[in-house]
Amino acid sequence: MAAEPAPARPARGARWRSLLVFLSVVGPGIITANVDNDAGGITTYSLVGAGYGNKLLWTLLPITVALVVVQEMSARMGVMTGKGLADLIRENWGVKATFWVMVALLIADVGNTIAEFSGAAASLQIFSVPPWLSVPLTALAVWLLVLKGTYRSVEKVFLVACVVYLAYPISTFLAKPDWGVVLRATVTPSFEMNSGYVAMLIGTVGTTIAPWMQFYLQSAVVEKGVKPEQYHHSRLDVIVGCIITDVVAFFIIVACSATLFKAGIQVETADQAAQALAPLAGRHASWLFAFGLFNASFFAATILPLATAYYICEAFGWESGIDKKWSEAKEFYGLYTGIVVIGAGVVLIPHLPLLQIMLVTQVVNGVLLPFILVFMLLLVNDPKLMGEHRNGPWFNAIAWVTTAVMILLTGYLVVDAARKLVTGGA
Amino acid sequence: MPSTPMAPHGNDPWFVHFSNLLGSAVLQPDGKSAGKLVDMVVHTGEPYPPVERLVLRAEGRRRVHLPWSDVVEVRPDALRVREGVVPSPGDPPLGPDRLSLRKEILDRQIVDVEGAKLVRVNDLQFLVAKGGLRLAHVDVGFRGLVRRMGWERAVDRAVTSVRPSSQYLRSDSLLSWKLVQPLDTAPGKVRLEVAQRALGGMHPADLAEIMEDLDRDQRAVLLERLDVETAADTLEETSPEVTAQILEEVAPERAADILEEMAPDQAADALGELSGETRRELLAAMEHPEAHEVQRLLHHDPRSAGGLMTPDRVQLQPRQTVADALAELRRRAEDLPLVYEIFLTDRSGVLVGLCTLRDLLLAPVTARLGTIAREPPVTVEVDATLRDVADAAAKYNLVSVPVVDSQGALVGMVTIDDILSEVLDGR
Repeated sequence: MAAEPAPARPARGARWRSLLVFLSVVGPGIITANVDNDAGGITTYSLVGAGYGNKLLWTLLPITVALVVVQEMSARMGVMTGKGLADLIRENWGVKATFWVMVALLIADVGNTIAEFSGAAASLQIFSVPPWLSVPLTALAVWLLVLKGTYRSVEKVFLVACVVYLAYPISTFLAKPDWGVVLRATVTPSFEMNSGYVAMLIGTVGTTIAPWMQFYLQSAVVEKGVKPEQYHHSRLDVIVGCIITDVVAFFIIVACSATLFKAGIQVETADQAAQALAPLAGRHASWLFAFGLFNASFFAATILPLATAYYICEAFGWESGIDKKWSEAKEFYGLYTGIVVIGAGVVLIPHLPLLQIMLVTQVVNGVLLPFILVFMLLLVNDPKLMGEHRNGPWFNAIAWVTTAVMILLTGYLVVDAARKLVTGGA
Repeated sequence: MPSTPMAPHGNDPWFVHFSNLLGSAVLQPDGKSAGKLVDMVVHTGEPYPPVERLVLRAEGRRRVHLPWSDVVEVRPDALRVREGVVPSPGDPPLGPDRLSLRKEILDRQIVDVEGAKLVRVNDLQFLVAKGGLRLAHVDVGFRGLVRRMGWERAVDRAVTSVRPSSQYLRSDSLLSWKLVQPLDTAPGKVRLEVAQRALGGMHPADLAEIMEDLDRDQRAVLLERLDVETAADTLEETSPEVTAQILEEVAPERAADILEEMAPDQAADALGELSGETRRELLAAMEHPEAHEVQRLLHHDPRSAGGLMTPDRVQLQPRQTVADALAELRRRAEDLPLVYEIFLTDRSGVLVGLCTLRDLLLAPVTARLGTIAREPPVTVEVDATLRDVADAAAKYNLVSVPVVDSQGALVGMVTIDDILSEVLDGR
């Protein structure tokens, strides 16, 4: 046999190779983006489209920029330090700061999980499956998929689920909106000074940029083992993911605007939005909407509890990972199962003040986000951690402005939601 | 062992927690504060490292440092220094064998050598004896977390009132400093002889599992503290992607030394994950015979019989005796993988028969191998798939499946342990 070195797989040209490398590191950004369009996201975008037509479409462009800025920092920190965000916060600010961040994250994520299960229940109700059946079944499916499936099967299911998001654009095209008006509204900012409009605007921003995403994305990038030399592929993955998030949001808003808003129908929740679409765009639109909502809810209900259990264990040094045995990683499995059970169980409680729970979740998310963003900016500018991969002056300026705007908006949201909770009115 | 800070009893040694000292004022004899304690530097050359320097935050948030010789009294929750101390400005320089406890140990991940797992440091416990402070234990338990939150007394009281016999009150998860390995230190900077010996005694499979959970820098630090043989055994157990990544982190000469020690099939799998340039560099740095074997394996798809096989096998001729075979086995025991089948070939290397270890043990030592050999039940070609190889092993109950080239010459064997791990990975 010949002695000279020859690689097992012959090179097939640089471009093909580069595509292969991209595909091997692709995932975290796109998966995060799709979990982002969860039940809460769909509900918010539906309300935006139905209540304000195309008026808020312009916000999607700045939101995309902010999302890219924030997520890119997460991915970069993951690649350059090889550590998760919870890990870095613990190592730099100690137990006390970490503990409170984790408590807030746990509350917010349990709230989000409740929203996902109620989204799953709402969508299956369109297919006439009652919640007492659909919620426990969904919870069981989520639990089994993560704990009994292998890592590869889980990732495959997730990626297939991403493709299902085509349901939204299809639904939109069936509704036949006036594309000229839509495109003009996308690039023309408009502003109304009334509390409903401002609340909607903040809701859109808040549902798109949530604290858990930064933890999830950074851990997922670390888990993928992306090397610094391959970072540009990860960055592309993040940017593509952020654009997908907002393209999906765009189609939901346009679909609701072209039908519900035009017909003057007011909706209160996403399942009503789906039902309201049925007479206008045929029963296919309704089914697609319900299918998309279920997919989004299921997807997020799978990832959120898992990710939450994962970073809490990471922060406190408990063993974690779905490849560990139950006896080796009790805290991890306990947290994971607990979040799924609470998330599903709460939805089944009759006469539950779901709206109140959502408000509390929004408040906790809003209180947490500024801390997370400031922590991230301090970490990403730490020369010992990031070396030459720190933010440049321009990027830093954009990042701090984004953070300041986010803090202002969520500050308003928190005050407003807290006021509603105190006065008891919605 | 006292878990809460105790008042000193005369000259008896006693323990104090880092969390109780951190943030407390360092007082001068006149009662004035010299600053708040924010860090301590230890010297790791000794089994229980003594504290050498204190880092304080003085007025105006300035960081200053003092030598331990300025300390005149250690109390459970504070330190006192002598009169007229003049702290030096800034952080102390960390020379070789010096560790910053706040930056490199507290809240960081370390290897618990005895428990063979990765844990996070919640607190540190010092032994106070003869006016000195020595790092004795690392607290990785829940109680350490509660203490860091400043809730130790409240939680203790609550637990005592509910269930005085609770495990919580007695279970401090303390690890001896001698049996842990810090990972967030600059490579090569810190010497930890006792712990390093203990590390070498860990099972490679446990080390591999820890290795998989570490970040890049920590992997390089851990690998550097292993001798070449342990490193090779560990990297045989990690996944080829992780092995490749680790090999890229260490100096090429050391990577080459480790690759030479590894089983050729595992080394080839790891090299196959690297870029062409790095692979050529490492192959060039390896000793010739090992590099040659690995290169041959690299020709094959890693999931084919050729990629899975090891060229190390016992290959003899039918006219040789059982005694020859046993001598050969003894001679090569060191570098052979799992051996059960001994292969017999003709002059041109074509497989003509095989004997099992059992056959050898039952036959007289003078018997010629040809007389006790059996027909080889099956062979696979180098391009056979994993499925074919696994089927062959299962159907004929083989511990190792012989691999032949297109002319039928024996080139290696695939052992059942490698088949098993591949099949499990592909699930």
